[in-house]
Amino acid sequence: MKRMKFNIIILALALLAFACKPMIDVPAPSAGTADFTTYVSLGNSLTAGYADGDLSRSGQLNSYPSMLATQFNYVGRKGDFKQPLMVDETGFGNRLKFTALTAAGPTIVSYGAANPANFASIASAGPYYNMGVPGAKSYHLPAVGYGNPANGAGNYNPYYARFAVTPATSSVLSDALALHPTFYSLWIGNNDVLLYAIAGGSFDAITPLATFTASVTAVVTALKATGAKGVMANIPDISSLPFFNTVPYNPLYITDAASLTALNTAYGNGALGITFTSGYNRLVIADPLDPMGMRQIKSTELVLLSLPTDSLKLKGWGTQKPVPAKYILDETELANIRTAITNFNASLATIASANNVPMIDMNAKLLQVKAGMVISGMKFNTSFISGGLFSLDGIHLTPRGYAIVSNYFIDGINSYYKSTIPRVEISGFRGIVFP
Amino acid sequence: MQKRITSILALLFLAGSMLAGGPQVSLHGQKQIGMGLIGTSLSLDASSAFYNPGALAFLNQKTYISFGISPLRSFAVYRTAQPSVYESRTHNPIGTPFYLYASTQITKKLTAALAINTPYGNSLKWDKNWAGRYEIQDLSLECITMQPTLSYKVNDWLGIGAGFVYAYGKVVLNKALPLGGTNGDGTLGIEGSTTTTGFNIGVKIKPTKKLEFGIDYRSKLSMKLKDAKADFVVPVSMSTSFPAGNTVNAELPLAANLDIGGSYWVDEKLMVGFSLNYVMWNVYDSLKFDFKTNTSQLPDVHSPREYKSQMIYRIGGQYILNTKVTLRAGAYYDPSPCNPNYFTPETPSLNNTAFTCGLSYSPVKKVSIDLSFLYIQGAQKNLTFVPDNFSGTYKTRFFIPGIGVSINL
Repeated sequence: MKRMKFNIIILALALLAFACKPMIDVPAPSAGTADFTTYVSLGNSLTAGYADGDLSRSGQLNSYPSMLATQFNYVGRKGDFKQPLMVDETGFGNRLKFTALTAAGPTIVSYGAANPANFASIASAGPYYNMGVPGAKSYHLPAVGYGNPANGAGNYNPYYARFAVTPATSSVLSDALALHPTFYSLWIGNNDVLLYAIAGGSFDAITPLATFTASVTAVVTALKATGAKGVMANIPDISSLPFFNTVPYNPLYITDAASLTALNTAYGNGALGITFTSGYNRLVIADPLDPMGMRQIKSTELVLLSLPTDSLKLKGWGTQKPVPAKYILDETELANIRTAITNFNASLATIASANNVPMIDMNAKLLQVKAGMVISGMKFNTSFISGGLFSLDGIHLTPRGYAIVSNYFIDGINSYYKSTIPRVEISGFRGIVFP
Repeated sequence: MQKRITSILALLFLAGSMLAGGPQVSLHGQKQIGMGLIGTSLSLDASSAFYNPGALAFLNQKTYISFGISPLRSFAVYRTAQPSVYESRTHNPIGTPFYLYASTQITKKLTAALAINTPYGNSLKWDKNWAGRYEIQDLSLECITMQPTLSYKVNDWLGIGAGFVYAYGKVVLNKALPLGGTNGDGTLGIEGSTTTTGFNIGVKIKPTKKLEFGIDYRSKLSMKLKDAKADFVVPVSMSTSFPAGNTVNAELPLAANLDIGGSYWVDEKLMVGFSLNYVMWNVYDSLKFDFKTNTSQLPDVHSPREYKSQMIYRIGGQYILNTKVTLRAGAYYDPSPCNPNYFTPETPSLNNTAFTCGLSYSPVKKVSIDLSFLYIQGAQKNLTFVPDNFSGTYKTRFFIPGIGVSINL
């Protein structure tokens, strides 16, 4: 009988040892009707992995094409997804760092000077599959010599110069085609309007619609001609971007009667249309079209994140002196921007549809995030810093934000190509790093 | 004997825990575990003090003592909503539910008993960095109850009994906060203990020699944590929003149980029975954390759970092989009390199907060594915690061997 008891104990232990782990039964990922063997990403800074004001090594490693490539590995992608990685975190010296949070807001400073090694060409160590080039506009992708330093400063893109295969004759498109992609992603067009918007409408110009359409069509049809399938994304409205929606139009909190009287007296006690009252006051901004060359900002106009807010206090900007126009998007500029985005997105939709490419409506997706979104206990919106989606520059995303974008791509691809590419685990990537 | 008592006391500090059907444990007697955890109608030993105080009066020897332990191995696996490849598993520590019962006949009709056991518990440990870390990283819920009990045999076929329940509960909980700093996520650790009281009443009816019925009601235990430690670890720039030395009040109601059971002695050797356990989990409507110090970033938390009351269906039986050996087997179905829209990985309670077997061996008269083995399988299911948009597929498994000793004098 002892033996019997012994046997039962052994049986129990055996069950414990071998049959313990429950396994979840799920279908294996499938490529559907697409072929992910060779994936190439084309686009601008968003595609390159730009974040916190610059392109850095960690940003590139957390780029959405890098995340997509990892997920495509489950459905047949082959080889390393090589990116033109920066040597370190300093990028080209524009990277930002979040050092303190005070009642006045976040303190954001320079991360440090660039490591010169980041500017060197690494083309010989290629080929590179992430062809995202910070600063690229639609017409830059097919432009030969876009990465040719011989063109002289300002006439080539130093990010692309790092990895252009043959600087004199390469275009982003030709380098991409040389990789023989079976699948591509194309997210282009943001800079065609955004660079103008970031400059407060004071520099740069919005790309003419015809140029935009012709350029994107050239890229898509060239890729299609190789038999590659792909996915495209459109341009988010600037109302989703913290860069344009963080500094209020009326940041001047004045309650002291003496100051108010002094200001109102200086502006002719309302005779010039500029008045200050106790509480939050609208900025005085430069406006060359105004007879006085200045006026108070309208509530519908936007103040850019680039505005050095300490100048409001230290230099009397917005009160004693008008805020320079490059920090403001006035109603006319906003109308130009909105019209351009609407037209560009319509053009992108037409091109995608004509070439049988699914279009990820990033514009609509980011407006959804703007309204507030929660994923696995992480709350997101499009607020600066606290929103979690956008990085310290207010235009590019955090790694967690890029992971969300990756899943938008994956969902769109899965839906169009009947594939079951596994989604990215968003919580595996960081958001804003608080000091 | 001295040694034995010390070792039993040591068990008290191991504080047992397990999960199944919400944070409820039913491992209160190796004989009952062997038979699918039926026990409401049975008078096998002093464990009736827990299963049905009314059945105690039917014990026909003067004194009974039984004690035992059920080391519990539990596993849960989570996979994010499809299509996905992300998977995470628990690394739960071995739970140690235990029981200690003693009963003695004061008169032919009146029996007194004491029951000490662990009727609820949960011991769960996910990876620190798993996808659900903003819901829970680890949770330990311990509950030990002490129940002095009296049972009265009204006549040959009717026994009634009641016990007063004094419960000690302890909760330790850790979760990550989506507030990243240079050292990674922020965290919240809550730790507190409390005591509460309840009762256990039961009736047993034995209309014939072969047939027994029992009905038992165990009240809910309202575990109210007061001024439990709430330690936040957050980046320096957020520290004013999450002040140090904060405390929290919270309440976790542990469900009342209404059990009805019947058993039938087919002959002198074979007994079969059933039990229906209605577990009133509807009391667990939400989990509220009331922090002593609130800030704009730290409001009180009111997190819905909306548990449903559920019926557990149990069958089991035993066969007396000879004077030394009794064999047992059973099975039960324990549907999840969780609301599928408010399913959190802190208590991944699925629809459980369980199979049990057991064996008693009497080396000498009056002493029985009781062994049991319980296997529980939680059915794979896609579930979501809607407020946090946390969803995925869960599956669980439990392996629970048990050993106990019963003595009658």
